[in-house]
Amino acid sequence: MKNIKVANPPPYQSTLTRRESLKWLGILSASALIPGVSGCDGTSKVDVLTPSIKGHWTQLSLSPISAKGYGKDPNLIIPLKSPWKKTLTVEQLTLVAIIADILVPREGDTPSASEVKVPDVIDEWVSAPYERQQRDRLTILSLLKWLDDEAKIRGDSLFIQLKEEQQLEIIDDIAYRKEELAEEFKNAAHAFSKLRKLVLAAFFCSPEGTKDLGYIGNVAIAGDYPGPSEEALVHLNDALDKLGLTL
Amino acid sequence: MKDFDYEVVVVGSGAGGAMAAYTLTKAGHKVLMLEAGRDYDPKTETPMFKTKGQAPLMGSGNVDKDFGFYDATVDGGWTVPDEPYTTGDDSDFMWWRARMLGGRTNHWGRYSLRFSVHDFKGKTRDGLGADWPFEYKDIAPWYDKTEELVGVCGTNTGLDDMPDSAEGILQPPPKARVPELLVSAAAKKLGIPTAPMHRAVLTRPKDDRQACFYATPCGHGCSIGAAFQTTTSLIPMAKATGNLKVITDAMVKSIGVDKSGKVTGVTYVDKKSSSDIKLSAKVIILAASACESARVLLNSKSEHHPDGLANSSGQVGRNIMDSTGTGLGAHIPALENRPIYNEDGHTANHLFIPWWGHKQHEKGELDFPRGYHFEISSGFREPGSGVSGDLQGYGKDLKAQAKSYYGAGVYLSLRGEMLPNEHCYMEIDEQVTDKWGIPVAKFHWKWADHELKQVEHGLKTAKEILETMGAVFTKPLPSAEKAILKGGQIIHEVGSTRMGESSKDSVTNQYGQTWDCPNVFVMDAGVFASNPHKNCTLTIMTLAMRNASWLAEQLNSSTELKLAPLSAKGAL
Repeated sequence: MKNIKVANPPPYQSTLTRRESLKWLGILSASALIPGVSGCDGTSKVDVLTPSIKGHWTQLSLSPISAKGYGKDPNLIIPLKSPWKKTLTVEQLTLVAIIADILVPREGDTPSASEVKVPDVIDEWVSAPYERQQRDRLTILSLLKWLDDEAKIRGDSLFIQLKEEQQLEIIDDIAYRKEELAEEFKNAAHAFSKLRKLVLAAFFCSPEGTKDLGYIGNVAIAGDYPGPSEEALVHLNDALDKLGLTL
Repeated sequence: MKDFDYEVVVVGSGAGGAMAAYTLTKAGHKVLMLEAGRDYDPKTETPMFKTKGQAPLMGSGNVDKDFGFYDATVDGGWTVPDEPYTTGDDSDFMWWRARMLGGRTNHWGRYSLRFSVHDFKGKTRDGLGADWPFEYKDIAPWYDKTEELVGVCGTNTGLDDMPDSAEGILQPPPKARVPELLVSAAAKKLGIPTAPMHRAVLTRPKDDRQACFYATPCGHGCSIGAAFQTTTSLIPMAKATGNLKVITDAMVKSIGVDKSGKVTGVTYVDKKSSSDIKLSAKVIILAASACESARVLLNSKSEHHPDGLANSSGQVGRNIMDSTGTGLGAHIPALENRPIYNEDGHTANHLFIPWWGHKQHEKGELDFPRGYHFEISSGFREPGSGVSGDLQGYGKDLKAQAKSYYGAGVYLSLRGEMLPNEHCYMEIDEQVTDKWGIPVAKFHWKWADHELKQVEHGLKTAKEILETMGAVFTKPLPSAEKAILKGGQIIHEVGSTRMGESSKDSVTNQYGQTWDCPNVFVMDAGVFASNPHKNCTLTIMTLAMRNASWLAEQLNSSTELKLAPLSAKGAL
């Protein structure tokens, strides 16, 4: 097996300012380009990794979150910043940040998931003392372990230490609906799907993500509700024509 | 209350209690209102314009806040801390409660559809359930008065399931949104009408309340008073008369009687001190919510009322009906990548599908007895903790998929009429008490074939409408047994102290006056003789206005309340 380890990226820090967080991301993408320290012929050719040959999904055994919820009468005007203690380790948070940015990378002026602190939202989510979140915690933490186990098998390294292309090789195996998804990837694919939706939701909930999605409501309108725009009605009429319907 | 010489004690501050208090205080009667929850001021406590991203867990719901972080409900929901309820074997029942001034009116859907001619005389028509002790024409003028006071937007459609309001009563409804128009076109092809929803949302200013500015979900509450809740309207208006006093954190336990069995007052728990307080009362109006009022009556046993107060008929706690609920949603390819505009509107249905089957019922063409309507969920909603679509991959492609799905989903929610049956009732669980030492309610529930057949019909119809819009279903529809929501889950539970023509099979007369105790009234949804599919709150308020008006006249004319004569039917 080739040693394709690269330098550790700096850890994701939830206290980063936007500016610092951009810097973090810069370092991270640069680190992904650093060639492996050995077994590398110096070209830009991506190492071919050996995928896992059998399933190694481990359902973690986690002790339950014992924190209290925010109760039935929380302040709705100024919500608590941290209603409960966050539980992800720096390593887990960094891995979440890497995955989050694979899912939602920066596109032009639109920031990536980690730039709008999606990992913090995920940390708050998996650390919450509620039933649904506790279930998701098990799924997501098990996925994080699987990713590192898979990286170990394929590249004798942690997932975050793999080159970007190598990370994507693993992700490609669990990110798509396939008729015959190999058995060893099924659990991971299911968990990845859950994390994918959570990351997207957290991204779209950020002001930058909301803007990117295009939602333009939540503003006071003086007078009557204006209804659909001209352009929206043109689209509707076209749809009605195609479906053979009339208003 | 030494310094306040009240004539009437009203238990509860929601739709029924606040309307009763408003009506009585306006007529010059002094009212003391007891509310089991805390004081609540929507002007300072409503999270207007707050985004889900600013809330814990992206605003999503959990056991603390069932309908999401910003839902207005305080200290309640499907569970109330230290105030449990129980269910019988094989019974699923969910009981939503609020513990706050204004009760559930702070978060309700504001859908305000009148019951129609059909709804008050269902038994006469098909032999099932119970008739109401009056007809539509008797209550129609009271619907007008209530709609005018509350402020309801909508239009007169002339449809048989939607009685017209008097000219000038309804405020203009907002324009329909694109997905609603597509539903409308598809339904039209199938011979099914759509209509502007009637909602207790102001589109024109009224008294101190502003018109809707088309932002911020009504379920969060409404600090500007556009979405109706008693805490921005009836309660402050009643207080302004100088005739209303409100005590909050006052949980009524029981009603007390003298040696002759005559009702003399109430006992409540002052939650702050955990002490019992007895109040004398000339007249008591229960409006604590259908099942909470029944619980108070059943917990008020005495020598003269061995089965609970006002329960000589044995009907207290019986005949509980919720609305049936189910739904079907689909991704509509024709709505993908459509041009974005602000679809918030008044944040709920602008169009809906009213029941269209009265003629079919008359001809005996349907295998279920009562109707339903569909509510339409759609639109470019504010982002939250859920992202729709069967998403694949990652990166740019992933985001492009999510964006193309945005605003392309349509969900049709069925809300239908249920008939009362012997398996759906509540009693007192003698084994369990709440934190205050009050024995709790125990619910029993079983849907009948009537409801299951209706749900089956609704699912098939919803599928047809969605398919007409271009949706493709790859899986068969679920069975009605699986698809129907739980009893109580639609939060339209009614009928636990039903009104009727006779003291033998009902708890109150048409004025909500209990047959057994002329100075005890029920003015919440407990008095409903049937539960039409049209959402109960408007009718709770209308009955409370009508019945409190009748009570006010009695208080003016005599010192001792007597039972309404049976001949005193119909309009006041």
